[in-house]
Formats: sequence, C-alpha cells, structure tokens
Amino acid sequence: MARAKVEQQPATGTALIVMVGLGMAFLLFMAFLNVVKSGNILSEANLLFAALVFYAGAGALYLGFGVTGTDSYLKYASLMTWAGLLANSGAVAHRWYEAGHPPFASIYEMLLSFVWTLAALTLIAEKRYGVKVIGTVTMPVAIVGVILMQLLPSEVRPLVPALQSTWLHVHVTLAMLAYAACALSFALAMMFLIQDKVKTEMFLAATSIFTVGIYGAVLTRFEKWGGLNVVAWDAQNKTEVFVSRGVRLFVTIPDLGWLMLLVFAAVLAPLVLYILSRVRKNESLLAMADRAVFISILLQMLALAFFLVRVRGGQYPSLDADGLYATSLAASPFILSALVGGIFANLLYLLLLWRRGDLERLLPDADTLDRITYKTICIAFPLLTLMIAAGAYWANRAWGSYWNWDPKETWAAITWLVYAGYLHMRITRGWRGRRAAYFAILGFAVVMFTFFGVTYLLPGLHAYA
Amino acid sequence: MRAPENAREGCFNPLITHEFEENRNVGAERALPHVRKRTDMALSLHSAPRKIWQTLSSIKTGVVLIILVVIFSAAGTVILQRPMTDADDMERAYSPTMLRFLDATGLTDVFHTRWFVALLILVSISIIAASVQRFPNAWRYFARPYKSPDESFRRALPTQAVIAVVNNPIVNNPIYNNPGFNNDEEQGLSAAERAFKHLGLKTERIVRPDSFSLFSERNRISEMAVYIVHASLLLIFTGFIVDSLYGWRGFLMLSPGTASNQIEMKNGSMRTIPFSIRCDGTGEETYADGSPKKYWSKLSVVDGGRETSRKEIVVNDPLVYQGLRFYQASYGRTGKIDQLILDATPANSTTGTAQEITLAMNQTVALDPDTSVQLVDFIPDFVMQDGRIYARSKDIVNPAVHMVVTSKKAHGSVNVWLPPMPGIDENASSPYTFDPKDLKTGTYTGLQVSHEPGQWAVWAGVVLMAIGLTFVFYVVHMRFWVVPVRDAQGGTALWVGGTANRNRDAFELKFKTVVEQIRKELQPEPAATAPADATTVSGTSVSRTVSRTTIAGR
Repeated sequence: MARAKVEQQPATGTALIVMVGLGMAFLLFMAFLNVVKSGNILSEANLLFAALVFYAGAGALYLGFGVTGTDSYLKYASLMTWAGLLANSGAVAHRWYEAGHPPFASIYEMLLSFVWTLAALTLIAEKRYGVKVIGTVTMPVAIVGVILMQLLPSEVRPLVPALQSTWLHVHVTLAMLAYAACALSFALAMMFLIQDKVKTEMFLAATSIFTVGIYGAVLTRFEKWGGLNVVAWDAQNKTEVFVSRGVRLFVTIPDLGWLMLLVFAAVLAPLVLYILSRVRKNESLLAMADRAVFISILLQMLALAFFLVRVRGGQYPSLDADGLYATSLAASPFILSALVGGIFANLLYLLLLWRRGDLERLLPDADTLDRITYKTICIAFPLLTLMIAAGAYWANRAWGSYWNWDPKETWAAITWLVYAGYLHMRITRGWRGRRAAYFAILGFAVVMFTFFGVTYLLPGLHAYA
Repeated sequence: MRAPENAREGCFNPLITHEFEENRNVGAERALPHVRKRTDMALSLHSAPRKIWQTLSSIKTGVVLIILVVIFSAAGTVILQRPMTDADDMERAYSPTMLRFLDATGLTDVFHTRWFVALLILVSISIIAASVQRFPNAWRYFARPYKSPDESFRRALPTQAVIAVVNNPIVNNPIYNNPGFNNDEEQGLSAAERAFKHLGLKTERIVRPDSFSLFSERNRISEMAVYIVHASLLLIFTGFIVDSLYGWRGFLMLSPGTASNQIEMKNGSMRTIPFSIRCDGTGEETYADGSPKKYWSKLSVVDGGRETSRKEIVVNDPLVYQGLRFYQASYGRTGKIDQLILDATPANSTTGTAQEITLAMNQTVALDPDTSVQLVDFIPDFVMQDGRIYARSKDIVNPAVHMVVTSKKAHGSVNVWLPPMPGIDENASSPYTFDPKDLKTGTYTGLQVSHEPGQWAVWAGVVLMAIGLTFVFYVVHMRFWVVPVRDAQGGTALWVGGTANRNRDAFELKFKTVVEQIRKELQPEPAATAPADATTVSGTSVSRTVSRTTIAGR
C-alpha cells in the first residue's frame, strides 16, 4: 500500500462543516419531534441523545481535521464538543439527582462519567496544551461509549449495603481520574513515538499484538464444538443469572467460537507477516501485512456484527444447567468493548499508515510530548496512590481489613509499582524519550488489565467493576 | 543524590543533554564532600559488608526486587489461593502433582508465605539502604545551601543571563565614597533585590572575602520530599508487618439476646476476648424490588459484668472497642422457630369464631378451658418419604410444624401437622382447625472481628505519603544567584543564574520574568518620556533602598 503523501487541501473546507451541521440539525429536529410527542424534554435519554449527536458531529469534524488539517474544522469541532459536554453534564446531573448518589454504581453509570471525563480532558488538552489532534482519537471513543450506554441497562438500581459509603464515591472518583490521566499519558506517549520517527511497522506490530491479545482473551470463552460462552442474562430482573453466590451461569452461543477463531487467525496474520519481514528483511511482506490489517478489520467488523446479532436474539443452552437461557449485551460488556476497541485500534493504525505526514505536522514536537507525558503521569501517580488509599480505607470499613490481597487490590498495587518504577527511572536515571514512552505504554497496559482483565478473568471480592 | 548516577549513565539521547548537564553541574557543588565520604566508608568498612550495602542501596537492586514482587503478586492473583478457595475447588482445578508442587512452593498462598514476606522485608531494607546512602548528601545540600557560585559553576549553569549595568550617576551618598567600593556593583545588586522583592522572592546578600553576591530561593523543603515519601512507605510496611505478626481475624455468630466472648478463628480454634458482645437485635431492610438495602445489628459490650458500650452497626460502620473491630458481615435465619402465629377455629361448631394465638417452641396455650395446644416440633425443610418425615436442611425452605392438641373432655391428645401429612397427622380428629398466619424464625448476625494494631501506622503512612507526593510533584525548589561581573568591555554586568529541581520549562519562563524585572529595575530613574515603565519603580527611590539594605547587609 502506498504511503500517502501530504496533501495540501484548500484551507476553507466549508463543505464538511455544512454537511455535518445539516446532519446534526436533521437529527436534533427529528429528536425534537419525538420529544414533543412524548412531552418530556429534559430526560436523561434525551440529554444523552443530544450529547451523542454533538459528539458525533465533533468526531466527524475532528476526523476531518485529522485527515486534512483544515483549521476551521477544529474551531467548530471544539464548539460541538462543548455543546456535547454540556448535554452530557446535564445527563450526569440528572442521573445524580435521580439516583441520589454520584453516577458510579453500575457499568452504565461508570461509562456516563467516563465519557464526560474524556470530553472534558479533550478540551483541556486542546486548550491548555495545544494538542489539537487529540479529539480525532478521543471523540470516536466517546461516541462508542455513548452508543454502548444505549445497550446497557440504565434504570437506577438501589445500592447494596456494601456500596453505601462515601468512600465508594471518593474511591471511584479518584480511580476514574487516575485512569483517565493514565490513558492520556498513553495517548501522549504514542504521539511521542510518532514524532520520534518510530517506524510505522512498529505500530503495526503493537496494534497486532494488542488485537491478538483481545481475541486471545475472548477465546478463553471458547467452548467445545465451536461455541462461545457468554454470561446468561435475566431480562425480567435485568441482572446476570447466578448459579450460586458469585458464580455466574454461562450459556454457549453455537458457532460463534469458530468465527472468533477465524478472526483470531486474521489478526494474527499481520503479526506473523511482520515477524517474517523482520527475519527475512523483506519489505514486500510488510505491504502484505498492511493489506492483512485491512482484511482483519473487515473480519473484526463482521465478528462484531455477528456477536451483536446472536447475543441480542435467541436463547442458548448451558453446560451447567438445563434449559435455554437468554443473554444480552449488558451481560458481556467486556467482550463488547474489547471487540470495539480492537477495531478502533486497527483503524487508528490505518490513519497513521495513510496520513503520517499530516499527523506529524499537526502534533506538537517530540520534546514537548515527552514532557507532557511525564507531567500527566505526575498527576496520575498521586491520584493512583489516593485511589488505593481510599479503597483500602473503605475495605477496612466494609470487609474488616484494609488489605485482602484480592486480585483487584493486588493489580492496583502492581500498577502503582509500575508507575513508581517509571518515576524512579525518569528522575534518578534520567530516562527520557523512547524508553520513558515505552514505560508509559506498559503502565497503561497494566491499568487496562487491572480495569478490564481482572474483572473479566480473575475472580474476587471486587465484583462491581 | 542525582549527580553520580547520571554521570555514569551518560547521555544516550541528544534531547536531554541539556538537563543532564545541569544535573551534573548542580551536582558539582556537592561532588567534593561526596567523594570524601565515599573514601571514609571504604576505609572503615570491610569490603564484603560494604559490597552488600552497595548492592542493597543501588537502584538496580530495588528495581529487580520490585519486578520480583510484581511477578509473584501477579502469580498470586492467577493461581487459586487457599485462604479464599475451598479445598474441593483447589483439587478440581489442579492435578494432584501440580497441587503438591504449588503447595510446597507456597504458590497457593503467595501472600502469606515466608519467602514473600522476606521479599517485602528485602524491599523495605533496599528502600532504607537507598535512602540512607543518598540522604547525607541531600541533607548537606538541604542544610547548607550553595549560596555563592564560583566561576566554574557559573560557566556551566544552563539557565543564565548577563545584564549590563548602565552607569547611573544619581547616587551621591557619603557611605559609597570609601575606597574599593564599586558603585555599579552595588547599584546592580540592589536593583536585583528590588526585582526579586517585586516578584515575591526573598533575597539574601552573600558577602565572602573574595565575592559579593545575591542568593534567592524558594521551597528548599522540596529537596527532602522524596525521603518523606520513602519514610511514609516504610511506615505503611511497618503497620503491615505489625498486623501480620500480631493482628488476627475471626468470626462471631450471635442470635438476638445472646452474648459471647468466644471468637472463632479462621483455622477453627476459639479465641477468648476479655469482654463479651451481646446482640440486642438484628435485622435486614430491603428495597421494593427485594434486593437488600441494609443489614443492622444492635450490639452491646459487656465488660466486667456491666454494659460499657452500645452501638447499632451496619455494613460500612463497625463497632470499635479496645482495639477490636466488629463488622456486620452476614445475616441470616437460624432455622429455628421463634414465633408461630395461627388462627384456631373450633372444628365441630359452625358458629365458633377464630382466635389468633401465638406459639413459641414447647409453649402451651389454652384454646378454651378444656383444650390446649402445644408446639412440639419445627422442621425447616422437610421431605416425606416412605411415610416418614425427614429434615433435608437447616434452611427455611419447606417448613412444617408439629403441634399436640390436648383435650380434657376427650381425655386424649391429637397430633396436628401443618401442612397436613397424609398417614401421619390426626388433623381430622382435632377439636380445632388451624390456619397458619405467620412464621417468625430466629435470626442471627454474623460479625467479622478483627484486631489490627498496625493500621494506625498504615493510615499515618498514607497521610504522610500524600503530603510527600504533593511536595515531590508540585513544589519546586528554585534558586537564583546574582553575581556582579566584568563584561567584555570592562563595564560592570550582573550574572544571573537559576535552577529548579523539576518542571524546568516552567522555570525557564519564571527565569525570564526575573531577568526582565532586573533589567527594568536597572534602568535609570524614569524620565518623563517613559511614564508607563515607571510605575513599578515609583514609590521606592533607588538611593533609599540601596542604603537600607547595605547597612542591613554589613
């Protein structure tokens, strides 16, 4: 695939703005008609829908900006992000008021707060640090977040006794902030690597390893005869089905396992081709690897589509109990976000592959990025520390001990140690540039594992999120 | 503390030479005493302990130890752990040989094995060694700040500027007329003093036999911050170790009205505590949808025969007494009957009215002057098989009650079962029919009891760490030096230098404003042509400030 050359587009580019504006006006008008019919204007769902429309508009413009570098897109994109953030804040406030506690108690509420934080951080990064292109990355994530929210059960659930604590809110707020800062440091470290002239094929390898990891994790649920195990969902009570206390009932969706295996092979192909090209020093294999990425994206989308269709419709048998059980996307939030995340990462790689010249022009210089990465971690680390401390204090009140070596706790401590290692290396050993960037990326990988991996793979007390 | 490390590491990235140079040069001011110290130690210590000490205190050892901790704790989350898993589950998950291996190596209980504890202790020792190794220099640096920069230091400092002092003939004060006094230098330094004062920085005049300069700094404590963090970590570890040595956890199950001082430990043994806990009531509240909302227990402490404390505990709010904490951990039904409420109706008369009676276990209640009923048995979960009744479990799933109705008239007693048991009950011949209204079964509260004498060290450590981290990341130690020098033309100039221990890009901006401000102050008294610039200087006339600070300084 030919590397795209820098294309200088005319700087006006009003066509896209007009199109996005018209599209949004249409969507909002349709929504307004609906609302007038139902007579309830300021409900949470409506606010969220407005946020979605604004974020989508902002995302389109940010993408337009990312691809063409037209500055006027950026102005309107920020404006829409502001509008989306406003609507999102309304939704958060509404939720908070309705539930009587800050929105952190379920995955839906966490996502609501996460998207809000992400939009706020985007604006801060853009205005304060001049990282203009960041919206190209964060807005699609926000859009996916809001869409995921539509699929998750959203009614206000009362808090079980263990969660009725102020310390929960302190702990979760700190966790969200810390993780958001870690995510930001990761994105900045990636940008640093782009500006530091790391070869594009290195990103290919990284993306492939990430995607292979995702499908490897999904395939841990592979069942004999090609099925895929997912958690059963009780649609009436809107809860997962439990066999006994803490043990979820899994149902097997037939043949989905084979599809996942196929996609696993497809995402493995670019990695294999990359390794071959390194071993044989053959550049043409790299071009093939890029093509394989393209194919794997299509297959991943297919897998996602099939996953959505099969999970939403139909009842499936289980190995642990007789009868057929339904399942729901709400029961498999991690698989869903993993599939979406994989596609997103690969699309980002394509963006880099085709538009590297533009990206390099738009991003701040490597030195600045390196420094901002460090500063972000300087913010993340104290937050992580306080998050763990608040969690320990809460555990001490709820479970009778401040440290139980629960998997979540242990992995939080591991995350803390990794970032402590980063800081020591940077401060006492003077690690800068690439080594520090790789370390920051490792740190975020551990954060992701602590957040998703532990909940998905390892059992423990910390079953809420 | 930083300098020797960096010098050894070398510059592998051109981006950072700048900062390294600065580190090395800032280090120069400390390098000499450091070297002396090293040789002292080499003489006084034997080589083996010295080597061990050096190994322990090196960053590399610390990192290796931390990596080991990370690997083993990660293993502890992946491998099933004994304390949290049933023995049966363990056997199901691993093959016997595998299980034997895991047990032998302690991998089934990583966090409590001796070698993991040893590893944590090694980490602590490494932190102590690294801190002790680096502390004297840092302390010297902190206690005796480098105030009067020599020439080599001045040459090498990366953030510096030279400002020419324009000769200003306004000062005509007698004290300046003594020989050897340089009017320009004095003017320059006092201008710098005013500039720092304007920017809110305190200054100090440093007068040495061979030099005459100005020093200004802020937040020197920031240099010690990293030791605060390390100390806090050690405090947390201490608390942790104290708890693992002297702390214990147990369980106490109480029904309302009962008291106990026997705590059941994890291994099944009992522990006697010096006071008793009495449960005065327990219960649960549920939301409208049936999910639990609140579990509560009313507890009283009976110490030395009298009640000394009383509290209603809920999840997240324990009772604390004499260092022991009692947590609401579980709540449930005992499977014993507390109260049975029934409607009793005379069987043979159509006019008889129902009367509500309440029965407790083995209690007899008179239904009329001749007839009485007694509750004799309660089965929480019955099954009927081959004409006999069995109890399947202690959970209240399928309850049955057995009552005996005694009638003086009939001179006999009748066995009544609810629900009716065909072939066993004699309900048909009972003078009364019974209609169950409510069944109140006994409840119990499960209390988690824990004794963690070290937790105060942990919380103190956490607070200290928060303070330390704030200083480490957000409080910058910045220093400025102003030295009068001769410029290339032979005129007087001010050499201004500065460093900060972190956040150097922000510091460079600050340095620029300082230099700008000094320039502004150095400008001759404002003429009528530049009124805008004059505002900052007006109010304090140059000569007055000079004389005051000079007198104070000498």
